[in-house]
Amino acid sequence: MMVGAFYNPHLGAELAAASTIDHLAMADPPAAGDRHWPAIKQRYTLLLHDYLGQLSEPLDDRAIERARSLAGLYDSPWVAEHFQCLHTEDGTYNLNYVFPPLYTEEFLARFVANANALKARLDQPLVMENIPGFFDVRASQMPEPIWLRRFLDATGTGFLLDLPHVWLEAHYRGLAPQAWLAEFPLEHVVEVHVAGVEQDRDLEGPWIAPTAPSDAMLDFMVHALTRCPGAKAVTFDAFSPSLTADVLFASVDRIRAAL
Amino acid sequence: MNDRALQDEVIRALADAPYRASAEWRGRRLADAGQVERFARFLARHFYHERIVHFFKYSRALARVTARWPEAVLRQPGFDALLATAVLGDRATARAVARLVMAYVAGEEVPYHGDLLRYQEAMMVVEAGPRVWSDTGHGDDRPAVAPPDLVEGTTLLELEYDLPTVLPQLLQPWTTPPDAPRRKTRLLVARSRHGRVAVARASDAIASVVRFADGARTVDDLARAAGLRPGDIAATLRDLTEIGAVRFSTGS
Repeated sequence: MMVGAFYNPHLGAELAAASTIDHLAMADPPAAGDRHWPAIKQRYTLLLHDYLGQLSEPLDDRAIERARSLAGLYDSPWVAEHFQCLHTEDGTYNLNYVFPPLYTEEFLARFVANANALKARLDQPLVMENIPGFFDVRASQMPEPIWLRRFLDATGTGFLLDLPHVWLEAHYRGLAPQAWLAEFPLEHVVEVHVAGVEQDRDLEGPWIAPTAPSDAMLDFMVHALTRCPGAKAVTFDAFSPSLTADVLFASVDRIRAAL
Repeated sequence: MNDRALQDEVIRALADAPYRASAEWRGRRLADAGQVERFARFLARHFYHERIVHFFKYSRALARVTARWPEAVLRQPGFDALLATAVLGDRATARAVARLVMAYVAGEEVPYHGDLLRYQEAMMVVEAGPRVWSDTGHGDDRPAVAPPDLVEGTTLLELEYDLPTVLPQLLQPWTTPPDAPRRKTRLLVARSRHGRVAVARASDAIASVVRFADGARTVDDLARAAGLRPGDIAATLRDLTEIGAVRFSTGS
């Protein structure tokens, strides 16, 4: 099992010199002036985890070529995208933050068709990450785990299981995280994300934060991994200029120790 | 209404505070109003945190001596008050947020601070507005059939200091803030259809083209106004189109 983190360019020097991290997920392409990039590229397995586009619409040639180019640059073993629909079709409104689609037949058909089209153009497997809903939209027609299972069965894509997302959804639904997790198609999991959560003033409750995972989250990770036979990597999911090297390295060490 | 259109309604409600408060949205009863409001406020703070950190990065660099971090405004009453009318990505909201930042970080630690704030404000405001997320594969290549028109939001900045010479230095390590030459400088700030903001020095000729490109004057009119020869006006318009400052209407 690989244990890794996200590439945070402001921690480039520390990451280039580190020996306890197996892989780095790339949320952004390397900046032109990033002097640590050559060492990072040589040292690590790199996972493409950029914004490629929302699969509620077909990705255009420009977006697909960008995905292919980045996957080639990183030599990424798989390409990740999110189950998200965050901007309106006409481009007028954009949330600039991951936001899930309606869990309906129509959206399922859209995502399946567009993911299959993207897969056909990639040289690497596609994996898709679950996105937390803070509230339910009454137009949804099925629970998220069923929608995800049908999508994964129809496309053959892998599942990037974001555990804090599942944990948060369970929290806001008043469910035990383990019970909610059991509904998800865990047999498709390729990679697992683990992170910390903190109280958010606007949400009046917990949300994902660039902090270390709690003991409870690590226990949840261990529990989840016993049910994910195909998981190949665990990634500490924190990408923020406010993330410190201490938090990043301590979190990876704690994840590794918990496995 | 299909599901994609319903999703757009939810996205709009989260992005557009006046719409969120409207009878039209509330009448749809698609989601719990309290939860939507809380998540919308969370999104707004996140949305403008990213933009303030990116566009006011030079003020962040100067915070080493000013101790005023631009993103601190996101936790101040002025921003909370703005949330009731904020529309994410809207140019007026971008300007209002930028003005909060400018009022907070303003100071005289460097003589060019006023220019710097106007520059950063322009970047943030120009970036706002609807954008094209996906190319349809046609349109750009069709022949231009109408006079060139200035793209909404394109801005000419007249500065007292030559900021472009000092901006890279501000982001490097320093103990005393770097100086900027006091020299009248004119910059053009524009945004591509895909949302990429570009800045270029603007000569008198470029400024003239930008000022007169109104969708009515022909290319020949613009060349005469700018004092450019036919070959030069073509190259200038090509450059301005590339950075998103000017567009040509196209035939259908």
